[in-house]
This record gives sequence, C-alpha cells and structure tokens, in this order.
Amino acid sequence: MVRTADPTNLSTYEPILLRHVGVPEARTLEGYRARGGYKAAEKALTQMSADDVIDEVKRANLRGRGGAGFPAGVKWSFLPKDRTVTYLCVNADESEPPTFSNRVLMENDPHALIEGTIIAGYATRATTAYIYMRGEFWEQFHIVQKAIDEAYAAGILGKDIFGSGYGLNVYIHRGGGAYVCGEETGLIESIEGKRGWPRIKPPFPAIEGLFRKPTVVNNVETLCNVPHIIERGADWFLGIGPEGSSGPKLFCISGPVKKPGCYEWAMDISLRELIEDPRFGGGMRDGKKVKAVFPGGISMGVVTGDELDMKMNFTDPAKFGLLGLGTAAAVVVDDSIDIRTVIRNVARFFSHESCGQCTQCREGTSWMFKMTDRLAGNLGRREDLDLLAEVSGNMGMMPGMSICGLSDGAAFAIKTVIKKFRSELEECIARENPEAVKIALEVVN
Amino acid sequence: MSWKVIDRNAAPDKAEAPVLTDALVEKIRVFLPRYETKRAALLPALHVVQDHFGYVSWQAMQELAELLEINASDVFDVVTFYTYFWTHPRGEKVVTVCRSTACAFMGADSVLDECKKVLGIGEHETTADGKFSLQTEECLATCDHAPCLYVNERCHKHVKPEDVRRIIEDPNNAKLDIERSTLFDGVKGA
Amino acid sequence: MTKIIINGTEVETREGIPVLQAALEMGLNVPHYCYHPGLSVVASCRLCLMEMKMPHPKTGEMGWAPKLMPSCQTPVRDGMEVRFDSEAVKRNQRNCMEFFLLNHPLDCPVCDQAGECLLQDYSYQFGDSTSRMVDPKYVNPKKDLGPKTLLYANRCVMCTRCVRFADEVAGTGELCVTNRGSKAEIDVFPGKALDNPLQGNVVDICPVGCLLDKDFLFKQRVWHLHSGDSICPGCATGCAVRVDQNENVIYRLKPRYNPGVNDWWMCDEGRFGWKYAQDATRLNRVITRRGEAVESLDWAGLPQTVRFRFAEVTAEHGDASIAIVLSPFMACEEAWLVATALRKIAPNAALVLGPVPLREQDEVFPKGATNGDAKFTISKERCPNRRGIERIIGALGGPTLTFAEFSENGGKGEIKGAWISGGYPEKWVDKELAKAADKIEFLVVHDLFASELCAPAEIVIPACPFTERAGSFMNIAGKLQPFEWAVKPADGCKRDGQFLQELAEITGIYQPESVRKLMAKQMPEFAEVAAPPKMPEHQH
Repeated sequence: MVRTADPTNLSTYEPILLRHVGVPEARTLEGYRARGGYKAAEKALTQMSADDVIDEVKRANLRGRGGAGFPAGVKWSFLPKDRTVTYLCVNADESEPPTFSNRVLMENDPHALIEGTIIAGYATRATTAYIYMRGEFWEQFHIVQKAIDEAYAAGILGKDIFGSGYGLNVYIHRGGGAYVCGEETGLIESIEGKRGWPRIKPPFPAIEGLFRKPTVVNNVETLCNVPHIIERGADWFLGIGPEGSSGPKLFCISGPVKKPGCYEWAMDISLRELIEDPRFGGGMRDGKKVKAVFPGGISMGVVTGDELDMKMNFTDPAKFGLLGLGTAAAVVVDDSIDIRTVIRNVARFFSHESCGQCTQCREGTSWMFKMTDRLAGNLGRREDLDLLAEVSGNMGMMPGMSICGLSDGAAFAIKTVIKKFRSELEECIARENPEAVKIALEVVN
Repeated sequence: MSWKVIDRNAAPDKAEAPVLTDALVEKIRVFLPRYETKRAALLPALHVVQDHFGYVSWQAMQELAELLEINASDVFDVVTFYTYFWTHPRGEKVVTVCRSTACAFMGADSVLDECKKVLGIGEHETTADGKFSLQTEECLATCDHAPCLYVNERCHKHVKPEDVRRIIEDPNNAKLDIERSTLFDGVKGA
Repeated sequence: MTKIIINGTEVETREGIPVLQAALEMGLNVPHYCYHPGLSVVASCRLCLMEMKMPHPKTGEMGWAPKLMPSCQTPVRDGMEVRFDSEAVKRNQRNCMEFFLLNHPLDCPVCDQAGECLLQDYSYQFGDSTSRMVDPKYVNPKKDLGPKTLLYANRCVMCTRCVRFADEVAGTGELCVTNRGSKAEIDVFPGKALDNPLQGNVVDICPVGCLLDKDFLFKQRVWHLHSGDSICPGCATGCAVRVDQNENVIYRLKPRYNPGVNDWWMCDEGRFGWKYAQDATRLNRVITRRGEAVESLDWAGLPQTVRFRFAEVTAEHGDASIAIVLSPFMACEEAWLVATALRKIAPNAALVLGPVPLREQDEVFPKGATNGDAKFTISKERCPNRRGIERIIGALGGPTLTFAEFSENGGKGEIKGAWISGGYPEKWVDKELAKAADKIEFLVVHDLFASELCAPAEIVIPACPFTERAGSFMNIAGKLQPFEWAVKPADGCKRDGQFLQELAEITGIYQPESVRKLMAKQMPEFAEVAAPPKMPEHQH
C-alpha cells in the first residue's frame, strides 16, 4: 500500500505516522488494535531477540527526529553489555519554536507512542520508561495517560507483555516550562527532580544517565517510527526518501500560510513545496511574500525567500549555512514583518531559556537580547551587527564553549539572520535618528 | 548596615496548620514508587501543589522538602528554575499569550495589548478581584493555531484582538472537555 | 610515570588528575573559576578551555582538535598533548572576561575583595580594557544569607563553588541557585540561613567579591594586610591558618592549604575565635606579690628571680615538692624549655599535663558522614597540643602527676613550689586547682588572663596568644606542625619562647628551629618539622 514517495507525484504518498489523524477511534486501545496496532510490538517481543530489534533499527538507519539526527539503533547499541538496570526516556518536551509534531502525534495516536516505547524498551532491556512531557501539554497529558491506563488494563504494559516475559512500566513525567530540559541530560536531571542543568559529558547517558544508570533518550517521533520498521522491515524504511535521510518525516509549517499544520512526507521535498504546495502549507495568505523562513526550528537558523529550494533532509540545510534539519518545523516570516522584531524575538527566546550554567551562553544570550531589543527600538548602531555576529560566534558546544547545544542554536539563529539580512538591518539603522541613539546611550553610560 | 538587603535569616510566615493536607500528601505519594529516589517525585509534587493552590508557597516548599527528604533550598531552586511554577498567588484564571515566533508573526502582540486593555493589568499581574492573571510564555507548541491564547489549560486558537473580550468574558473560557486522569486534577474550577 | 606535553613542554604528572591541575602544578597561570580541587567538577565557567591533540576522525593523524576542551574536566592520560597558549584559547579567555563583566557593577573601590579578586586579576591578565556593552546592566538584590555572610549578587560569576561546598563538604546544603540564565542567583531558603560550622569557607572559595564576610566587611583593604602562617589552636585538628594583620592589629584568619589535615578548609569557631588574642583585659605586666604588697617586675631580671626562688624552695623542701604544669596550649618548644629549665634546678620536679578541654564528640563533615569518609573534622579536644605535651613529658622521663593528682596533692599542701602555664582562651581554673593554689608556697603563673590563681601566686607572668608566638603543635593524628608569629607581643608582654629560653639560660633570639635541634637529641622527630606544601601559585 505504502510506496516510496515520488516528488514528482504527490498523490502517491500515504501517511504512516499521521495515519490516525482525523481518526478519533484510533485514540482508544480497541480502535488502535483494530487498525493493526500493537502487532509490531507483539512481533518484536515474541519473535525477535532484543539484538534483532536493534539490528533492524540500525539497518534502517533511523535517525533521531528530535533535532540532532543521531541514529537511534546506534544509540541503543552504546549501552554497556553488563548492565542490570536500564532506563528509557521519551523526549516529549517539544519546546523548540515552532515545533508541534510530537503534540500532533500524541494527541492523535497515543498508542503508537506507547507501542514504539515498548519496542524500544524491549530492545534496550529497559524496565521503566519515562515520557518526559512538557508541563504545558495539559490535554496531551490526559490523552496519553488514558492510553497508558488502557494499555496497563489490557496487559500491554506492566509484567509479561504478550506472554514474552518482558515487562515495562511507562510513566509520564511532566516538566515545567524549561526549553533546556529537551536536552537529554537536562531532561535526565529534571526527572531526578533537579534543575534542568545539562550534565557534563562524558559520562554519556548510555553509560551513566538517569539515576546514574545506563539510559537512552529518544524523541516521540523517532519512537513512533519504530513499530513500522519492525512490522515492515528496514528495507521498506530505507526505500522512503533519499539516502541518509530515509523514512517518513513530519514537517511543521506555521506562520502566514494558508494551511499551517503538521504534514508527513519523505525527506525529499523542498522548503518551497512545504510552503506552497496545496497538500502542505498551501501558499501564502493574503498575497504576502516570503521574506524569511526558519526551516528547522529557530535553532537551526534562517533562510531567505530566495533559498526556498533547500531540501528538507539531513544534509541539505548545512549547504545553506544552517545548523541542520533540526525538528523540520518551518515558520514563515512574511514581508510585512520588520526583521528587527524577528531577531529580537529569537534572541529573547534564548535569553529566557538559557539555563545559566555556562558563561558564554548565559551572558551571551542576554547580551544579544539587549542588543536586538535596542535594535528593534530604533536605537541600533551599525557596530551592533558586527558585535552580534561576534558574540554569536563565541558560543556553542561545537567550538567547545558550552556543555550543551542550546547556545549553538542561539548562535545559529542570530548569526544567520545577521548574515542574510544584513543589508535590511543596515537600512533600518540608517533610517534612525542618530541624535536619539546618542542621547539614549549617554543616559545608560 | 548601609546596604539594603533581603534578609534571609527571617523565616516566612508559617501557616498554623500544614498546607499539604492528607489528601494532597496521598496524591503525591502515588508518585513515589515510580522513581529510584524520593527527590524525583518533586516535579509531579509541584504540579499537584500548584494545581491545588494555584502557586507554590514558601510553606508548601518546606513541607514538600520534608516529605521528600531534601533541603528546602533544593525545592526553592527547582521551583524557580521552571517558569511554569508560580511562587506567589495568581488569579483564578491565568491568561497566557504565546509570544514566540509563529504567534508573534501572526499578531500575538496586538492580542496581548488587547488582553492588557480588557483586563486592565500588565504582564505577570493579577486583577484586583483576583479573577485573572496575565502572562506571556515562550512557544507552547501550538504554532499551527497561531496566535494562541490560553485560559488556564484551554487553548483558544487563531485569536484576533477583537476576540479577546469575548473569550475573557465567556464563563466557560477555561472549560476543557476531556477525560481527565486522576493523577493531575488540573487547576481548581477548570 | 605519566608524562604529558603542555604548551610544548613535557611535564611529569599523575594519571587521571585534571589537566588543569597538572598545568597549575607546573606553574602555569590558567584562569579558572568553577574548578576547585576539593569540589566536584562542573566545567561551567568555560574559562580554562584548552586545545588538545586528537587523532583525525578519518586519517587517524594526530592534530589539534578544532574544538576547545575544558581542562578541568579532561583527565590526564599518558602521552597527551595540550596547549593553553594558542590564539583560540586566548580569544576564549578574552571573551569570557568580557562576558563575566557585562553585568558586573565595577565597584572595586567599595569592594572588600579588591586586591585579591580573580575578576580583577584575570581581567587584567587575560581580558580587554573595555566592555563593548552599551546597554543597561542587570541588577540583582543583595542578600543577608545568614549571621556571618552577605551576598552581593551583582558581582557573582555563577561558578557555584559555594553551593557545591555546602552540599559536598559541609553537607548541609543551605545554598542553592535560583532562577535561570542571566537571572540566576545564589540564594538560601528564607529562614534556613547559611549557618553551618564551616560556612566561612564559602567566602574564601568565592573567587570574586560576591560572598562577603560580615566580620571583615569594610575593615581593611586587603593590600594593607601582612600575614603570618599559624596553626589554629582551637582544637586538636590543627588547621593550618594564615593570620592577616595590619600594624599589629589582626583582622582575619584564613585557612592555608594543608593536605590530609584541613585541606583547604577551616571551621568558623577557629576563623572567628581568635578575638581573645586582642582582648583588652589580657594580662600585660609581670607582677610579684610579697605579702600584701604587689609590685611590677622587670622582664630583664625575671628569669633569674624565678630560678632563684625555685632554688630556694627546692633547697628548703626537696625537689619532689616541685611541680610543673604544662598547658596543652603551649608549643612543644615552650613546654620543653620550661621543663628543662626547672628540672635543672629541681631534677625530680613532677611534670603535669594541664587540663584538656573536651567536648562529647568530634564534629564530622559532610554532615552525616562517618569518620572514614569525612572531609573535615572538628576535634572534640579543644586544645592544639595535648599530644605534643604528652610526648615531651614522656621523653623527659622522671616523676609525673596527672592534673587531678596535682590538684589533690596541692590541696593537701604537699606541693611547695609550682609553675603553672595557662594560655586557655576561656576560664579554666576549677575549684580544686584554686584550692591547691592557695596552699602552694611558691607559685608562678604564666597565663593570658587573670584568674583565681593570680592572688595566691607569687609571680604572675603575662603569656602571649598563638598569634604572637612561634613553635610547633602536634595534632590529634600525631603530626607535628610548625607555626610562626603574626604580630608582635602586646605592650607589656614578651614572646613566650623568648622568655622561656632565657629561663633555660639559652642565649640569643628565640628561634623554634634551634630549640627543636636541641629537642631532637631526645625526640628525633623534632629534627624535621615541615610546613605543609604550598598550593601551586595560580591555584585558588
């Protein structure tokens, strides 16, 4: 039924991950099972060994959907052989603006997440899984919790699942509005009841994670792919989309497009298709033009309206100066919006969400916010643009300046806006009243 | 001393009776077997407390510390790290306007301005009658419905400034028609 | 043997220690805030970043990795090569210093830390001269964290050393970080103030002027201070301390690095318990009593007078009627000098160990730790040198008495001549001793404060507190530790060692090492009494 997506023929792709959107009965255990649910879990637990499952997922090259794109099967195989207790954490913290694909999955297909969790738990020999869900997911909590309750009642969670002897407990752990808890070690600290300050690595979570035990952290969307890989095989998965970016993928599109929402396709569509194709965003509203797009969550950076041919896969974004594919959630900025308010909004986000542990991120993000705030208030200076570029160049995990990747995101978001919209920013500054700037700065200093 | 300082030697006013009732403690205890450490139940416990009281008071923090066998300072630390938790009383209903990218580009600013006008309060303030608090939050992962306005746990989608008064005046504006788990009852009166 | 290359120089070091520690030990000035050898590693200040040679992921060829690594978090492995002198490392240090100072009020003129502040030092050594931020600074409230400590949050660099100290060493966990990002602050829970017996250390380990000692606040600019290396006499642990003074007035005590004894720490009782040393009520002149008449004596003639009177009493009653009470507050050298001086006159004089103040039990940190994994112990024995005095009494041989026997015999009138050393910071004379003193025909008291002993004493000699003395103490673990004087003796007093040396008829200026050479003939361990090793110059 499901075929490889053919970019030339958009009608041939059938949703896999989103197959239960608009199918309310699939939210119930009965409805989910009636539609073939839990078959993959049963197959994995009764017919496959844990290593078989890992091998299959490894072979499918299922790259993490949370942002970093690390292959899930490889992650699982890092666990030490002689471990006794293993924890599985499901990252449902979803707080990267403007990402909401996990929310859509959990709202519409909670059992798919549970099924993926069971299989991943089995593969990793975890006996407890925590779904770390952001605190503001109120509705979603109750939906997933209800599904968990149903699964327990039916013996799909708890002891001896499907008569396999394997048992798994799944608990939802609710967060409290901290973006950094989406970082895997921040998430682990948060489950332990501490502030979500990411841990220094090594040791990596696979060796010493939650409660200092071997731990795997996977994203919701990643886990939702697992049952399909088990059911249909790695070859089927590899057949979808381009090499290195295989498998179905959720794309979010928001902003002033006609049809904002979460869409599924192979990773062979371009950003332009995502915005303009009637099956996805459906084009811009009210005749507006695309000025800029943050195509992978704001952390990955920005592309201009001229760069919409970027492919939404794991490799192409880097060619456009972006950090990566990220969460594949695109937000469109239309031409009516002042780029200064965009950069201010982004800077404020990172300043608000920096955890405060590493110097460069703590101080750099707040400084960038102060600068962009001034910029947006018509009090910018040309040298602020260089300064912003420099400050954003002095932070991040990649050059070694921080413990986690939050500040890489902050850096790329600011850096790419400055680079790609420099002339517009300079024009804005040129229109300012230089006397007002002078007076304002004299008041401060 | 010539400096103005916050005096931490003084204990906050202590309630006469414990604020964590037996029923609340029981609700929190449900979470204890889920984790290896007692401390790990802190976040669920904070949710239970905030759902019940609307905020986490000094007194509640101390009692939680005793219950989970940790330092009161650790509870203080965690409560203030997570912006979801309030440390002072808030209105019966909390109006939250998302201010991140998608919502911002779709007009969240004017929605927020309208909220301020209708409620007569600023950001992070509470109306004199204690009915409403107003706050902004970073991305709440409902960007497809931008701009979003939450009243307690209920998301109002695609809000235009002219809708704000109607939404705020609607007595059922926080009503969420879902089957609730007993683990978290949600805000009182929701 | 582990060898690594730092900045092109091969150094011998120890496997597994942080590279930063190895670099500091070779004398390199690597800036750092959050790293402290006595605390867990958090690698959050990102100031100590270095470049490291790593195999290329594809070719396997060794080369400088493009990414900087925190040297505090990277353990030493034999053969590794790192550098702190590259442009990338220096650029990071420069950027960090700019970041640290963004919201800092630059109020050095009114800051106690000025002069010993690592923001000042590092900014000068590694930073730029100006800040490029033109925007308003964030301002955080100041807080009174407890009875002894203030928090000036604007100066904080969020190294969290203080929080880790309270958690890991004191084990009391009062401190926490609140809020997040650039709004993060150090705080305590209201009403659960920072008030543990080791809390003064948080001020020491604060690399900047954020945590302030109320006792020292605005008392002195630190560049006026001169220090003497001493040993805290508060208990038998024997913490190495530094006494900071200006113009002979003491302002504060700070711990000195002393591995295996107090490491980097000291307790508050010791830190703030030195005030008696500058008490105005201290004895400050030598007095002698003949019948009802009291008159001052000159220090110059004193040794001879004492010797003469002891000789008289010995001649009259025999040397078995003489006793010498040695206080556990005396230095070994001082005790040895008194004992040898008087035994020369009365060879069978009894040696007595003075009363040893005791508490019920040791106080062990972190709170709740057992003695085995203790990081710091406050001894129940409230004096510095009980073991040293016992050692000397044992080595000198001859008759001894316990302190109770001394009081008892004295009370029965069996003791005709006695030397009693005091030096206790608190009232120490009990009823039995007072009663005995009344019966002693010839009593010499050498003490800090007036007591019931002064009236019956024929000669009262003012003693000096530890800050004015030099010598060595043997701590509870049997470790001999030397200490120096920090200030001159108070007016009217004479350094104990000097006077006692004269009493023992040894000429010259009192030097503990010379006395120890003499003592070493009976007690070989006194030949080598070494001060603890110094911390690497740039460690803090």
